[in-house]
Amino acid sequence: MSVRLLEVSGLSKRFGGVVALKNVDGHSVAGETLGMIGPNGSGKTTFVNMVSGHIRPDSGTLGFAGIDIAGSTPHQLAEIGLCRTYQAVRVFSALPVRQNIDNARLLLSHRGLDSAELGELTEWLRLDTRLDVDAGSLTLFEQRRLELLMRLVLKPRLIMLDEPVGGLAVTEVTEMIQLLKELRARCSIFVIEHTMRVIRELADRVMVLIAGEKVADGPPADILRNKRVIDEYLGTRHA
Amino acid sequence: MKLASDRALWIFAAAALALPIIADGNKFLAFVLGMTYISLLWATGMNLMYGFVGLMPLMFAGVAGIAGYAVVHLTREFGWSFWLAMPVATVMAALAGVALGLPSLRLKGFYFTLCSLVIQTVLTLAFIFFPTYTNGDTGINQIAPPDWFGGQLKGLGLELMIALFTVVGILLCAWIVRSPLGQRFVAIREDDILAEAIGIRVVRCKIIAFFIVSLYAGVGGCFYSVYIGFVSPRAFDVLVSMNIWLFVAFGGRGTIAGPIIGTAILAPIPFLLQELQAFKDILSGVLIIVVTLLMPGGIYGAWLARRRRTQKAMTDSARVQESRV
Repeated sequence: MSVRLLEVSGLSKRFGGVVALKNVDGHSVAGETLGMIGPNGSGKTTFVNMVSGHIRPDSGTLGFAGIDIAGSTPHQLAEIGLCRTYQAVRVFSALPVRQNIDNARLLLSHRGLDSAELGELTEWLRLDTRLDVDAGSLTLFEQRRLELLMRLVLKPRLIMLDEPVGGLAVTEVTEMIQLLKELRARCSIFVIEHTMRVIRELADRVMVLIAGEKVADGPPADILRNKRVIDEYLGTRHA
Repeated sequence: MKLASDRALWIFAAAALALPIIADGNKFLAFVLGMTYISLLWATGMNLMYGFVGLMPLMFAGVAGIAGYAVVHLTREFGWSFWLAMPVATVMAALAGVALGLPSLRLKGFYFTLCSLVIQTVLTLAFIFFPTYTNGDTGINQIAPPDWFGGQLKGLGLELMIALFTVVGILLCAWIVRSPLGQRFVAIREDDILAEAIGIRVVRCKIIAFFIVSLYAGVGGCFYSVYIGFVSPRAFDVLVSMNIWLFVAFGGRGTIAGPIIGTAILAPIPFLLQELQAFKDILSGVLIIVVTLLMPGGIYGAWLARRRRTQKAMTDSARVQESRV
C-alpha cells in the first residue's frame, strides 16, 4: 500500500445560492499523477482553491501527508511541500526572470537548493538564456515554464497544475506534455485539464467532477469510456 | 528598477550633511532646508510603503502626529529629555501605526488607500477632540528645542541633527530594499497572491512594513514639533500625507534617488510662494494630476526607462552589426 499524499473527504462549498462542490471525496498517492476533468463551472478550480488554502470549505476535511491542512495559508502549504499554479498564468511580469526565481528561493534557503540544482532545473526548462528578460516579455509557454520552475525551487512533494497547457499552440502542448512526463520523476502531480491528450498521456488516475459532484474516479482508459462522462462532458469518444 | 549606485549615495550623504553649514548664513534658507530634510525623511518612509510594498498609506501624517504630540507631552508634562522622549514617542507611533494598519492588512490598491484615508480622518479628529494632549484646534506653541548637554540644540546644531537622521534614514532604506526583506516587499507589490503561493508570509511582511514606515513618520514628527516649535492638527492632516506622497510619486517611487529628487524640487515651493497661498494648493493639485497621467514612474523613473530603452536600442543595433559581419 503506497503512501497517501492528499486526502480530502466530504468537501463542500457554496457561493450564495450556488453549490460549487457537494460532498467531494478524493485522495492522491505519492508518486502518482492524478488528473481532474469536468465541464466549465463543475468546481475543479474551487477544489484546488480550497486545497491550496485560498478559500475555506464550508465543510469537509483536508489532509496532506498525514497533516491536517484545513485553515492553512498558502505560504504554510508551500513550506510543507504543497504548491500550485494558476489557470491564468501568474509571474512577476515587471521583474526579470532571475528575480522571479530568487523570490521563490526566499522561503527555502534553509531547505538548501544549491546553485547546481537550480542550474540544472533552469536548463531543463530552457530558461537559462532568458534570465535577464522581464518575465512579462516572455512567451506564454516560457511563462508557464517559469511558473513550474518557481514551484520546483520550493522542492514540492505535490504540485497542483490548473490547466498547464491552456492557451498553448499544438506543438507547445506536445513539448509541455513531455516536460510534465519528466516532472513526474521529481514530484507527484495533480492536474486539471480540458485537453484530453494531456490526461490520456499523463494521468495514472482521473477524477471527474460534474456540477460539483464527483461522478467517476479511475484509470483514464476507463474514464474516457464511461458513459456518463461521455454524455455529460466529453461528447465524443476519446479513448 | 535599479537603485542609485553606492558611490552616488555616499556623495549625496556627504553633501546633505554639508549643506546646512553652507546655508547657515541665511536664516530663511536654512529653515527651508531644515523643513526639506524633515519632508525627505518622511518621503523616504512613504517610499518604502508606496514604492516598495505598493500600498499608499494616507494615514502617514496622522502617525507622524501621534509621535509629534507625544514628544511634546513627554518633555513638557513629564520633564523627560527629548532624546528619551523621541524614541519612546516614535515606538508608540509605530505600534499605533501597526494597530491602525491591522484592519487594512487584507486590502490592497485603491481599497487600502481608502481605508487609510478613513484612519487619517479619525486621527485628525482625535487631535482636535483630545485637547488634554493636543490643545485642540489652537495647537501647542512655544515648544522648546531639544536639550543638549545642559543647553539647547537649535539653529545649525538642530539642522545638522535633522540632516543626520535623514541621511541615516535614507541609507537604512537603501539597505532594507536590498535585503531579503526588501525583496519580499517588491514581490508583494508585484503580485501578493503569487508571493503568498511561493511561500512569502505576506501578512507578516506587511506588519513589519507598517512598523518600519511608522518609525520614519514618528521620527519626522518628533523633529517637526521641536524644529517649528508649534504643532496643530493641520500640521498632520491628510493634505500633509498627500504632499509627502506627491514628493515620492513626482520624483520616482520604488527608487532611492526618486524621492530625494522629488522632495528637493517640491518641498521648498510652499515656503518660496508664501505670498501666494491659493496658488500653492492649485500647483500641488495640478502636479498630482500631471504625475498620475503623464509620469506614473516619476521624473527619475521616466529617466531610468528612457536610459533602458536607449541601452536596448544600442545593444540591438550592435547585434545587427555583429550578425552582418
